[in-house]
Amino acid sequence: MKKKKATPWLYSFPAMLLIGIIVVFPILYTGYISTTNMNLYHWSDFEFIGLENYKRALLKVDSGFLSALYTTLLWTIVNMVLQVVIAYLIAVGLNTEGLKLKRVYKTLLMFPWAMPAYVSILLWRVGMYNTEFGLFNKILVALGLSKMDFLAQNGSAFWACLILNLWMALPFMIMMIDGALQSIDKSMYESAVLEGAGFIQKNIYITIPSLRKIVAPAVIMTTFTTFKQFDIVYLLTKQKGSLSGADLQTIITYAHQNAFVSNNYGLSSAVSIVIFGIIIVFSLVTNRPEGRERA
Amino acid sequence: MKKLSVGLAGVMLAVSLMGCGAESTGTESTAVESQGTEETKAAETAGEAADENEEAVVITAWHDNDEAMMNALADVVNEGLKDDNITLKFEKKSDVTGQIQLYGTDAENGPDMYLFAHDSLGSFAEMGILEPVGNLISDDKQADLLPMTIEAATYKDEQYLMPVYYETLLFMYNKDLWDGEIPSTTEDLYTYMEEHTDTEAGTYAVVNQHSGAYNVAPFINGFGGYILDKDGNPGLDTSGTIAAVSYNKKFAALQADGDYNTVTTLFNEGKAAAIIGGPWLISGIKEAGIDLGIKSLSDFTLPDGNTLKPYSGVQCLGVLKYAAESKKDAIVKVLEVLAQPEVGIVLAKEYNCAPANVKAYDDPEVAANEMILAMKKTAEVAEPMPNIPQMNVMWGPTESFLAAVNKSGEDVETAAAKYQEEALTAIADMQ
Amino acid sequence: MNKKSKQKCRLFFLNLFFIGLCFLGLVPILYAVILSISEGSGALTSGTGILPGQITFDNYRRILLEEPFLRWLLNSAVLSVGTMLLAMSTSVTASYAFSRFKFKGKKAVLQVLLLLNAFPQILTMFALFRLFKNLNLLNSHLGLILIYAGSMCIFSIWNMKGYFDSIPIEIEEASKIDGASDMQLIRKIILPLARPAIIVTAVMVLIFVWNEYLFATTFMLKEESYTLAGGLYQLQANDYSRSWPLFSAAAILVSIPILIIFFCIQKYMVSGLTAGGVKG
Repeated sequence: MKKKKATPWLYSFPAMLLIGIIVVFPILYTGYISTTNMNLYHWSDFEFIGLENYKRALLKVDSGFLSALYTTLLWTIVNMVLQVVIAYLIAVGLNTEGLKLKRVYKTLLMFPWAMPAYVSILLWRVGMYNTEFGLFNKILVALGLSKMDFLAQNGSAFWACLILNLWMALPFMIMMIDGALQSIDKSMYESAVLEGAGFIQKNIYITIPSLRKIVAPAVIMTTFTTFKQFDIVYLLTKQKGSLSGADLQTIITYAHQNAFVSNNYGLSSAVSIVIFGIIIVFSLVTNRPEGRERA
Repeated sequence: MKKLSVGLAGVMLAVSLMGCGAESTGTESTAVESQGTEETKAAETAGEAADENEEAVVITAWHDNDEAMMNALADVVNEGLKDDNITLKFEKKSDVTGQIQLYGTDAENGPDMYLFAHDSLGSFAEMGILEPVGNLISDDKQADLLPMTIEAATYKDEQYLMPVYYETLLFMYNKDLWDGEIPSTTEDLYTYMEEHTDTEAGTYAVVNQHSGAYNVAPFINGFGGYILDKDGNPGLDTSGTIAAVSYNKKFAALQADGDYNTVTTLFNEGKAAAIIGGPWLISGIKEAGIDLGIKSLSDFTLPDGNTLKPYSGVQCLGVLKYAAESKKDAIVKVLEVLAQPEVGIVLAKEYNCAPANVKAYDDPEVAANEMILAMKKTAEVAEPMPNIPQMNVMWGPTESFLAAVNKSGEDVETAAAKYQEEALTAIADMQ
Repeated sequence: MNKKSKQKCRLFFLNLFFIGLCFLGLVPILYAVILSISEGSGALTSGTGILPGQITFDNYRRILLEEPFLRWLLNSAVLSVGTMLLAMSTSVTASYAFSRFKFKGKKAVLQVLLLLNAFPQILTMFALFRLFKNLNLLNSHLGLILIYAGSMCIFSIWNMKGYFDSIPIEIEEASKIDGASDMQLIRKIILPLARPAIIVTAVMVLIFVWNEYLFATTFMLKEESYTLAGGLYQLQANDYSRSWPLFSAAAILVSIPILIIFFCIQKYMVSGLTAGGVKG
């Protein structure tokens, strides 16, 4: 393996090239736009204005932004914990020996994933959460309780978004863990059973340790996806013309509302870069203990 | 493994086949087009002496309206232009204004024109992507257009857009459900609503998108408040606006959640006796078989003696600069046809749009259309939506303000101050 | 005997649990199905009844015949499969490199990739738009495939790397002594052994492309080049012109191909690593 130092780079070159064009370049370009005064009034005659936009962008990192950051973290943590735990239990259940219909179950459980996100979100907003004909309110009324506008208050809107996100994101997690479960050597269970291990012991001592390393990257990726989730909060509560009343902000919706609506591309690019900086700092801080563990 | 690779090969084959399929259908559509032009060419030669130099021109326009309606509009225009070898073609885009921003300077991929309400005019004009319609068509050709619509299409003393039709909000009621006369004051209307609304049972007297800026504007303007004044100052914390929003709040409490889907469904289902809406609701109402009555919002008097004053929205066609350069003659011809009454008559008859052309109202069927008459009447007091660029960023703070008051129960004054501040920041951010 | 009946009892409850779970998960979908078979105006209803008064399949007929549904289906298929091939071929080798080789900067690169992925793509759409305009890639399927593949590449690399790591390196070393090249190793050992991870990743890419609408509507301008999700969005995203029954019918139709693929693909979801052990 020593012979060619370049080999790994060669193998990853096509991927890196693709990432360079589609991911890195646009970020650099956004960085460039952030130093110009490109906006409605200077659409094609924009010019370099230095760090002017950053002064203004930093002003946006105010208490509103901090509370949005807090919401985003809470959102990410609660989501990830629930997602991993629930998906794990379901995946283990699906892999029980003798479960003949598991292919059917798996397919049906994947359905939420197979729908375009905005369709699901709209269906939930109207079909589930709506005060007049949403299913939840129909149930409440049938139980003799009064109607509730789930999306009007921050607290209930947070849970409404959370449930929807779980519904949309669980299929992938289940599938991922299910796939990882296939890599566990079944003979390990057999010897464990011989030694008298029960269901819980098998999970704690065999399944979870074996899964951890395989699933970790997928969980990390999903954590970032959850962190930057925009559609659900936006389409459920903030869509133009149908604000629901809750003022739930994640950092992305906050940035959208505070920088992007104004069509000032210079300023909004600066805000994007500032947010990116915050994400970097943040993940450096949170990733450190794990990095050490792996090393 | 073998299976898998065979599968992969199959997939690849399928892809290449699909690729071919795509190409062939692509040529097919051009074939159809050229066939079409050949036909018209043939028609031309059969008629007068053919203008051999003139090639077929297709003008594309983006919109986000009802497709059938836009096709009907295109048909009228194309009928008028069939001797000129010009075809107007509409394409539906879900986010027209956003798309125009991106493609407004892209002659290759962008459209030639777009149709949208006039409130986005200022932004596009400032971006410098529009060719003023005033430069393309002489004033006498559009002498029959209502002055109000021309005013809406004008920004900084330059007429940028070509008005096609306009709309205002109306009071629409179900004749079978409404009990007695329609009140003529908002106070009486409120009394009626109190008596006839049972939120638990889900039956309502009047529903409205009570937290939408456009739908609350009749109150705001009626109370002498404003969302945005002519100089671009937001007015969310003016006394008029605060009074209007407080007043609207008590109505909102009796109007379900105010979501578009909710209120239209309630009305179409017969669970709400009246709705504040516009001509865009008609097709759903017709399908539901409702016996519809219509009243102008200007027939309702507020406690301070003013009437409700909705915004009017003028649907206009805008011409992109590059198109005006490369296809000038064709575009001028399209605009000239649009300025004539025929377009308005068809839209009025079939889709209840109020034409921008005064002559269109001479048509007996249009003149007898209750809905169009109500809009025409409303238009006398209605204010055209502001079309300065600042308006673009006002919808957000205004709706946040309304939602905070109506749905989250925030104090009106506090919320007004908060969202006025937000509006000011948003406007400052534009520069 | 006792043990067997206990097992049966357990399976019974497990089946019950999964039937309940599937039902619960499918409630919003069932709602869409009901909407899609109801007549135009009575689609959304505040009534307590669940089934629509009149059942009609007219909405499906209209989608299939009046809209360019098959055209869009084809576009979706081309884009999904194209993206999948490009994203998987680039990321499998990259993933292999990051999993199997020890080299300077490996950890750093992986970390940087992760951070890059954290940057919300909506924020850079404008930049991509500019780039593609200059490269003349707007309005082209190739352009979209590049965007999708690039967007999913980091995800795929990370997602598969974890699984590759779990494959014992000894298996490869043996083949290496036999003179197999790296590419042969990937093809003969890694691909079969890591099949579940590769399939999961590929399906993820596929579904991402299938359901993506923002880029598909912003970068594609001709109605005949829309994808299913894009076309549906273009025609029905606007509250004011949406027909709920049509919209739901289209949404169901969009999802079905994915479900079929998913159902068929499951039997390959077994790793070569353990498949033998299970059967033996």
